[in-house]
Amino acid sequence: MNPSPESSKPSLVGRRILIVDDDRLNTRILTSILKPEGYDIVAVYSGEECLERYEQFKPDLVLLDVIMPGITGFETCRTLRDRHGDTLAPVIFITAKSESDDVVEGLAAGGVDYLPKPFKGREALARLRTHLQNRLLNEQQRQLVAQLSSANTAKNRLLGMVAHDLRNPLASIRGLADFLSDGTVGELTADQLDLVKTIQETSQSMLTMVNELLDKSVIESGELKIHPELRPIAELLNKSVYLNNINAAKKGSLIELEGIDAETELNIDADKIKQVIDNLLSNAIKFSPPQSTIRVLVERNGESVSVLVRDQGPGIPENERHKLFQDFGQTSVKPTAGEKSTGLGLAICKRIMESHGGSIAAESVPTGGSIFRITFPAPLLAA
Amino acid sequence: MNYPQTILLTDDEAHIRKFIGLVLRKFDNPRLLEAPDGAQAVELYRQHQPDLVLLDVNMPNMDGVQALGEIMRLDPNAVVVMLTSLANRQTVEECLRLGAVAYIRKDTPRDEMTAQFERIIAECYGQETPA
Repeated sequence: MNPSPESSKPSLVGRRILIVDDDRLNTRILTSILKPEGYDIVAVYSGEECLERYEQFKPDLVLLDVIMPGITGFETCRTLRDRHGDTLAPVIFITAKSESDDVVEGLAAGGVDYLPKPFKGREALARLRTHLQNRLLNEQQRQLVAQLSSANTAKNRLLGMVAHDLRNPLASIRGLADFLSDGTVGELTADQLDLVKTIQETSQSMLTMVNELLDKSVIESGELKIHPELRPIAELLNKSVYLNNINAAKKGSLIELEGIDAETELNIDADKIKQVIDNLLSNAIKFSPPQSTIRVLVERNGESVSVLVRDQGPGIPENERHKLFQDFGQTSVKPTAGEKSTGLGLAICKRIMESHGGSIAAESVPTGGSIFRITFPAPLLAA
Repeated sequence: MNYPQTILLTDDEAHIRKFIGLVLRKFDNPRLLEAPDGAQAVELYRQHQPDLVLLDVNMPNMDGVQALGEIMRLDPNAVVVMLTSLANRQTVEECLRLGAVAYIRKDTPRDEMTAQFERIIAECYGQETPA
C-alpha cells in the first residue's frame, strides 16, 4: 500500500483478466499471449456468461468480443456499467477491424479501448498493461482516500476528546486564579498578584484555543447544528460590545455601537452569532493599536442586514486576504500587544455564517483599518 | 433575599467542586456538602435534604441523570441544577423534563456563573411570602 519508488510501474502479476469471445480460437490465442505475463485468466464464451462470471471472478480487466450469439458485447458492457458504475474494471473491445463506428459505439457503451483482430502480441500486451496499471493506481487511490478519510475522522474525534477534557480543568484554573486575585482567600502582595494575573491571562488564552479546536472538530465532523430563534440583533450587539469593552479598556481602546435600531429581529442561533460577533470584536481590539476606537455599525441594504466591525489596525494586504477565513490561516499582520491567535477563529465564523445562509467578508479601508462585515440574508429577517 | 443554607455540590472532579464552592460562598456562605458521584449524592440528599443540589452529568457510580431521578423520587420539591460540560441539548432537556430547574456550564467564567446562580437562587428562594 505504501507508494514505493516503483509505484509508477506496479507489478501486474496475478491481475485478473476475463476474456469473453464465442470464438474459442481467439480465446486460446489471447490466453497464450497473456499467460506468460503471469496474469490470472478466465475465458467465457458469451455476454450472459460474462455478466455472471464477472461477479465471482471480479476481474481487473475485461476483453470483450462485440459480435456474439445472445447479447452483444456492447450490451454486455452497458449492463456491467449500470451495475458497477465507477468501479467497473476497464473493458477493452475485441473488434474484427478497427471500424470507427464500432470503436465509437464501444467507447460510448463504457469501453476504454479496443483491440483489433488479428492480434499483434506486443501491441495487445502494451495496451492491456496500460489499462491494468491505471486500474491498479485507481484502486490504490481509492483505498488511500478511504484511509485518509477515516484517519481524518479519527483525528477529529481525538481533537474533540482532548479539547473537551482540557476545557473544564482550564476553566477551573482560570476561575481559581480569579478568586486568588480578588482577595477572596486572602490579600496577595503585588508580586504574587502579578503572577496570578499571568495565570489568569494564560489560562484564558488556552481556553480560547481549546474552544476553537473543539468548534473546529465539531464543524469538521459535520456536527455543527444551529438552533435558530427570533432575536433582536440589538440585544446581541449590546451584550457583546459591553463584554468586549472590558478587554478593550485594558488597551485603552473603545468599541462604539452606531446606527442600531431596537426593532430588527433575526432568526438566528444567538449563541453562535454572538460567538461570531465576539470573535470580530476581539480581533478588532487585538489588531488595532492601543487607544483605538472600534466602530460597530448595523446596515440595512434592501432585504439584508449587515453588521460591520471597523478597526484601526493596519488593514489586510490584498494578497493575503484569501487566507483570512482558512483554517490556521495566519497573515503577516500581528496583534499589537502580543495577544495570541490560533488562526481558527475566522474560519469558524465563516462556517457559522454559512450555516445560517449568511456570509462574512473583509475589506481594507483606504484611509486605514479593516472592515469585517457579516451579512444576514432576507429570509433570516423577522417579517 | 433568602439564600439556600445547605448546598449539595456533586462532581467527580475536585477542581470543579473547589471552584464552584468558592463561587457559592458569595451567597451568604452556605454549608457545603460535597459528593464525587451520583450514588453518594443521593445518600447525602437522603440524610440532609439540602436546599439546593448541583449535579454533574457524567460521573462514575450513577450519573447525574439517574441521580436526579432518584432525588426527585425522594423529594419532588428538590431544587436541582445540572452542571454540564457541553450544552448537550438532549441530556439537558431530559434533565429539565425530569425536574431540574436549570443547568450551568462548568466552563462559564466566574462572574457570569455567579450571575447565573444569582438568578436561579432568586427565582427559587428570592420570593418572600407576598404581603
